[in-house]
Amino acid sequence: MKRFLCAFALTTVASQVFAHTPLCDCFDNGDDTISCEGGFSDGSSAAGMAVRVYDDREKILIDTVMDTDSSISFPRPAVESYTVVFDAGEGHLVTVYSDDIE
Amino acid sequence: MCRRLAAILPGNTVVIIALMMFCGGVQAHFQMLYTPDLAPIRGQATHLLMPFSHPVHGGPNMDIDKPEAFYVLSQRGTAAKRKKVDLMAYLTPVTWSSPINSSTAFEAKLPRKLTRSLGDYVFILQPSPFYEAEEDKYIQQHTKTVMNVGAVPGNWADPAGLPVEIIPLDKPYANWRGGVFRGVVTAGGEPVPFAALEIEYVNYRVDMALPGFVPGAAVQLPQDSFGTMGIKANAAGEFVIGLPRAGWWGICALDLVPGSLYQGKALSVDAVLWLQVREMN
Repeated sequence: MKRFLCAFALTTVASQVFAHTPLCDCFDNGDDTISCEGGFSDGSSAAGMAVRVYDDREKILIDTVMDTDSSISFPRPAVESYTVVFDAGEGHLVTVYSDDIE
Repeated sequence: MCRRLAAILPGNTVVIIALMMFCGGVQAHFQMLYTPDLAPIRGQATHLLMPFSHPVHGGPNMDIDKPEAFYVLSQRGTAAKRKKVDLMAYLTPVTWSSPINSSTAFEAKLPRKLTRSLGDYVFILQPSPFYEAEEDKYIQQHTKTVMNVGAVPGNWADPAGLPVEIIPLDKPYANWRGGVFRGVVTAGGEPVPFAALEIEYVNYRVDMALPGFVPGAAVQLPQDSFGTMGIKANAAGEFVIGLPRAGWWGICALDLVPGSLYQGKALSVDAVLWLQVREMN
């Protein structure tokens, strides 16, 4: 949780010239799938924005984009820990750690 | 006589409230739709409490029947599709306690899967009409509480399509102490010029487990004009209120469909909206 909040804080700091802050959260669906949702603080859609899933050696496991309702679902990666990165462009990243996905 | 009696019993809230009722002081009824945090960082299970109360005085609290409707309209992003989920199955009667009296209220414990997504959640409660014997009339308060998860806005400013409604012009879940809150009173989707409104502060801490108001008023009222603050909307149905203290504030627009009847008696069709105000630490 601490790292999740830290990612949020860093994103906010990094977004001072970005009128709308990118936001993201992920959920464990309980069926070996993970869902992530993206959005912006002004209510803009995140459809088409990049989402990447990395293992703990920063190898890309999944490289995709948010669908039309600004969400994405994927099989739970078969690794001990992973990170989901919502890439809102211009270096504005939101990182969600697997430890924080419930 | 009543004022003299109240004056000789300072500090005894229960007695003073009873005297105010005895003396015919009409207090504002507020249908509450309460959850502790209207702006969680992450989605979680949501526990809502629904007493019918006078929150600035901690009561008296009234027994209510099972509500006619209880649902949520949620939306993640301003252009996204709004979702409606019926929540009637989650309603459970509870005994609400307070320093004044106990009453039958309702609660709902919503699982995380219903409120885990980012976005706005507009909870709507349509209670059954309540018979107010003192005024020989019924009261029905269409009540809205707006929660946001994760700071992605959605439908907080959109009309929910209620017969009577307070449309927020500011986010009801994102208010600093010392700020203002604006809204528009509507009936049948149209603004109500010069609508009468009552504003109350929730002056007692809510214990979710009890459930009820914990004894001990947060603010001592100089006199009862400060308890229920009566204001009027302007010609366009708009109003602005100041927010001088962190906590929960209720706004109730009264009798928005004049001439309404229920079981042969007058029915006051009211609209209630709840705000949460945060300290700017």
